[in-house]
Amino acid sequence: MTAPIRILDLGLVSPLRSQAIYHGVAYAQKPETPDTIILVGPTDPYVCIGYHQELEREVDVDYCREHGLPIFRREVGGGAVYLDRGQVFTQWIFHRPNLPASLEERFALYIKPLVDTYQTLGIPANYRPINDIHVQGKKIGGTGAAQMGEAEVVVGSLMFDFNFDLMARVLKVSSEKMRDKIHQSLNEYMTTMTRQLGRTPDYETVKREYVRQVVDALGRPAEYSDPTPEELAVTEELEKRFASDEWLYQKGGLRQTGAVKIHADVYLAEAAYKAPGGLIRATARLREGRIDDLTLSGDFTMLPSVAVGALEQSLRGAALDAAAVRAKVAEFYRNLPVQSPGVGVEDWVSAVMAIKGQSPLQ
Amino acid sequence: MAIYYGCDIPEDLWFDFERDLWVRFEADGTATLGMTDTAQTRGGKLVNLQFKKIGKPLKQGQSAAIIESAKWVGPFPMPFTGEIVEVNEAAFRGDILIANRDPYGAGWLVRVRPTNLDAERGHLLTGAEAVEKYKQRIVELGIKCFRCVD
Repeated sequence: MTAPIRILDLGLVSPLRSQAIYHGVAYAQKPETPDTIILVGPTDPYVCIGYHQELEREVDVDYCREHGLPIFRREVGGGAVYLDRGQVFTQWIFHRPNLPASLEERFALYIKPLVDTYQTLGIPANYRPINDIHVQGKKIGGTGAAQMGEAEVVVGSLMFDFNFDLMARVLKVSSEKMRDKIHQSLNEYMTTMTRQLGRTPDYETVKREYVRQVVDALGRPAEYSDPTPEELAVTEELEKRFASDEWLYQKGGLRQTGAVKIHADVYLAEAAYKAPGGLIRATARLREGRIDDLTLSGDFTMLPSVAVGALEQSLRGAALDAAAVRAKVAEFYRNLPVQSPGVGVEDWVSAVMAIKGQSPLQ
Repeated sequence: MAIYYGCDIPEDLWFDFERDLWVRFEADGTATLGMTDTAQTRGGKLVNLQFKKIGKPLKQGQSAAIIESAKWVGPFPMPFTGEIVEVNEAAFRGDILIANRDPYGAGWLVRVRPTNLDAERGHLLTGAEAVEKYKQRIVELGIKCFRCVD
């Protein structure tokens, strides 16, 4: 007699709605709202960037504009991705006590029905910690997690097909040679149901199987239903924000203010560091050897969502010195219930210290 | 036999009240399991049923089958740890509504061999006690049982 999980099988919706809907259901969550899983795909292609990413660093915005590809920022970490009808998003919006507290365990639970669904189709998928699904060394989709209001959100997709060409095309890269390399890597290290099976399986059949696997994995019944009018109203409100430049371009603060006068003792520098849990980009304004201002962006996952801003804030005023930065970051992790799988204190120290020795930005 | 708001609650069977399923202990030490009248009513007309493989050991609470109606998908959880020895697949293949027509007879789901029964049967109810508990639930949830007849 466990409470059923509500399944919202929304079919195809607008690109904006396909992202906004799980945010809307999450922010509208009340104590009596059932744990919910949304199955949805977009009518048309678009690009989606991670919550902590800087748009213009990651995406070729001009190309997207010229080709009518909308770009949306989600409130979930991870990287920029090209999305279209080839994916059915599987969006979980649960009450906090109904999911494991640790992000690693939560991803493992979320991924199990996806893996089991692929396996019933004859695709030898398996869970690759922390949050990936692999088929013989190739990735068949990633996952992300976030907290929105009182709700816990985990998202990913059933990867029917994927446009490798456009994925490589929409990313911002330093050279066309680099783009070729990305394209080649995507082809070598990513796969889809279509590639594995030599045909695209029937969407409805796969979605039904996925729900069965959810029921089996969670030991809870599931009931197909519809979003409430309030959930749709909150979603529509969020769509206005998602469509705004202010939301889309956030995180670019330091480089876009243009208010920084650079002289001998004040300069901007940036560096990137690859942690196991994702790429960290650090951009700092340094004044007399101290961090005067700092932006941390990238495709990592960090919960709660305000934590990155808090970490940036805690490092302001610190000397650009490994011991000083380490002390600040460690204090931050001690004082806040932060989860950042695959990104630890030493990764932040490495990312920030990589700034040292970089040439001032022009 | 007790019938309450159309719901049959056979007094000779054992019930896992929380998991809403019935158990009949067989002479050979196995146990036959099925959906109760209230479970089949609440689930609605089945459209699909997937059994776990025969021989599969399952812990208490793990699914022995996944039951599916048009708008509902539910686990059929093990009332105790055991191994599946028989599934009623042929009957459901012949008539997917068989549990909706005859939940305590031809519509049984699985036969299992319990492996830790003494420690795990304390929660099972039977006879008047089971009838009383079900009557309370039927009233609380406003259930009226229906059987498929055509």
